[in-house]
Amino acid sequence: MSATDRPEREYRSAQREGKPRPIARRHDALMLGTVPFLAALAVWWLLPKIVDYPAYMLPSIGMVAGYAKESVLDGSLLRNVLASLARLFIGFVIGMALAIPVGLAIALNRHVADMFRPVLSFLQAIAGIAWVPLTIIWFGIGNGSVIFVIANTIFFASLYNTVIGVQSIPVSLHRAVRSHGGRGWSLLTNLILPGALVQILLGIRTSMAYGWRALVASEMIAGSDGLGYMTMEAAQWQRTEVIILGMIVIGLIWVVMDRTIFTAIERRTVGRWGLLQR
Amino acid sequence: MSATLAAPAPLRAASWSRRWSRPLKGLAGVLLLLAAWQVSVPLVGMSSYFYPSPADVIASFTELTRKGILPVYLADSLLRYLTGLTVGALLGVGVGVLIGLNRTASLALSPLFRFLFAVVEVAWIPIFVVWFGYGIKTIILALIYVVFFPVLYNTLLGVRTAPQILVNAVRSLGANRWQVLRLVILPSALPGIITGLRVGAGFAFRGLVFAEIIAAKTGIGYLIFEGTQSQQTARTIVGMIVMGLLWLAIDQFYLRPIERATIERWGLTVDAEQRT
Repeated sequence: MSATDRPEREYRSAQREGKPRPIARRHDALMLGTVPFLAALAVWWLLPKIVDYPAYMLPSIGMVAGYAKESVLDGSLLRNVLASLARLFIGFVIGMALAIPVGLAIALNRHVADMFRPVLSFLQAIAGIAWVPLTIIWFGIGNGSVIFVIANTIFFASLYNTVIGVQSIPVSLHRAVRSHGGRGWSLLTNLILPGALVQILLGIRTSMAYGWRALVASEMIAGSDGLGYMTMEAAQWQRTEVIILGMIVIGLIWVVMDRTIFTAIERRTVGRWGLLQR
Repeated sequence: MSATLAAPAPLRAASWSRRWSRPLKGLAGVLLLLAAWQVSVPLVGMSSYFYPSPADVIASFTELTRKGILPVYLADSLLRYLTGLTVGALLGVGVGVLIGLNRTASLALSPLFRFLFAVVEVAWIPIFVVWFGYGIKTIILALIYVVFFPVLYNTLLGVRTAPQILVNAVRSLGANRWQVLRLVILPSALPGIITGLRVGAGFAFRGLVFAEIIAAKTGIGYLIFEGTQSQQTARTIVGMIVMGLLWLAIDQFYLRPIERATIERWGLTVDAEQRT
């Protein structure tokens, strides 16, 4: 890792020097960014007037807006959104609460960590949606299955990150703390936990991206409500206006979560520890 | 990563044990997991429909292999995955370079692309099903979609941040547009492109399994789903194990070589493992 450190930095600084024109002002960029959205809406609006296709294939903007209004007013949209978010949150909490202690326990001994790493990357690869058929047998359709799948996704991703995080603590820091008499609990709280924390926190964005997909996917197969259930159910009846609304809401929720929670985590960890290499 | 721990150790063991100790330990971990599974079967005490034992799964594996089902499913899944990945990546780079060369277009379109990537591929599957029915089109399109956007987005970013000083240098040496693209812009966008490919490849693999559960009649995802539908849970476990091994193989023999051949050669990568 340290070997690739230097060229990376040179590459970055070359980028900085090379930046020719001042970047467009923030709100200019924002204005600019809305143009393609408006263009996409315009195409969507014009398309049925140009090409002939059955209405169920692509509902008009009016139909989607109408369904949006209807589902907001009767509260069903909010109910589905909240159901999805609650499951995501519960699964996330369970997954993290299990992953960090187990990860630390595995990583504290290098031999144990070496032993478990291949198994962990294997389990991480199958974490998530592949468990849904099994969870349907174990927990039936509904909350239990979906929460298990999310917790499982978050758990293995965070477990891997915790192990990697502990292993990436430079050995010199280890020796420094040890030579000052740190061992046991104080080693854990002064070095290992903070050292691994950056990796764990930065890993949250990725594991949540997997968790979010797993949530929507498992709701489609094993859910009884939620955004995934709403869209897949609508596909059975070819109610595309429901599907499109669900897609837009799914996209918006992710953008908001990404912008508020994950970007903030990244900025704080970079600012505070300055350990981010990218 | 653990090289940082191992490298400065003064008491290095002989090279033989250094070379083999980690794989052997990894093998020990696998065996331990299998042993724990075997031991847990009588403890759980459920029928093999709820909780199959390793022996059930091995029997199911040999049966599926002997009947030729597993090899066909594996080949189908792999073909779909690699098709989606390759087409998505090529489209992403192509469109990314075309748009990226125009700074305004690139800035304007990035938010839209970001939003489209946030509408996860999983959420597209219902509408793909309405449009194209259950089948290979739906699966491949979902895979192309999930690879296309991260590659496109990172290509745009890479092209936009190509060092102008190098562009000027190459131009003043008489390079034409194509040469500027090939000598400066593409190489400097490459780390981003590979990062995007990594991100997309990981999502696409899970997406493949999900799409096969919903819309396929063959493939590893179908095997995983069909196993429990037909009360042969051992088949589901076979499917999950094959899926995990398949991902490790794809990572080792497809993604890592791409990274080695492109960005690691220029020392531009940080650590690919962090992004799996």
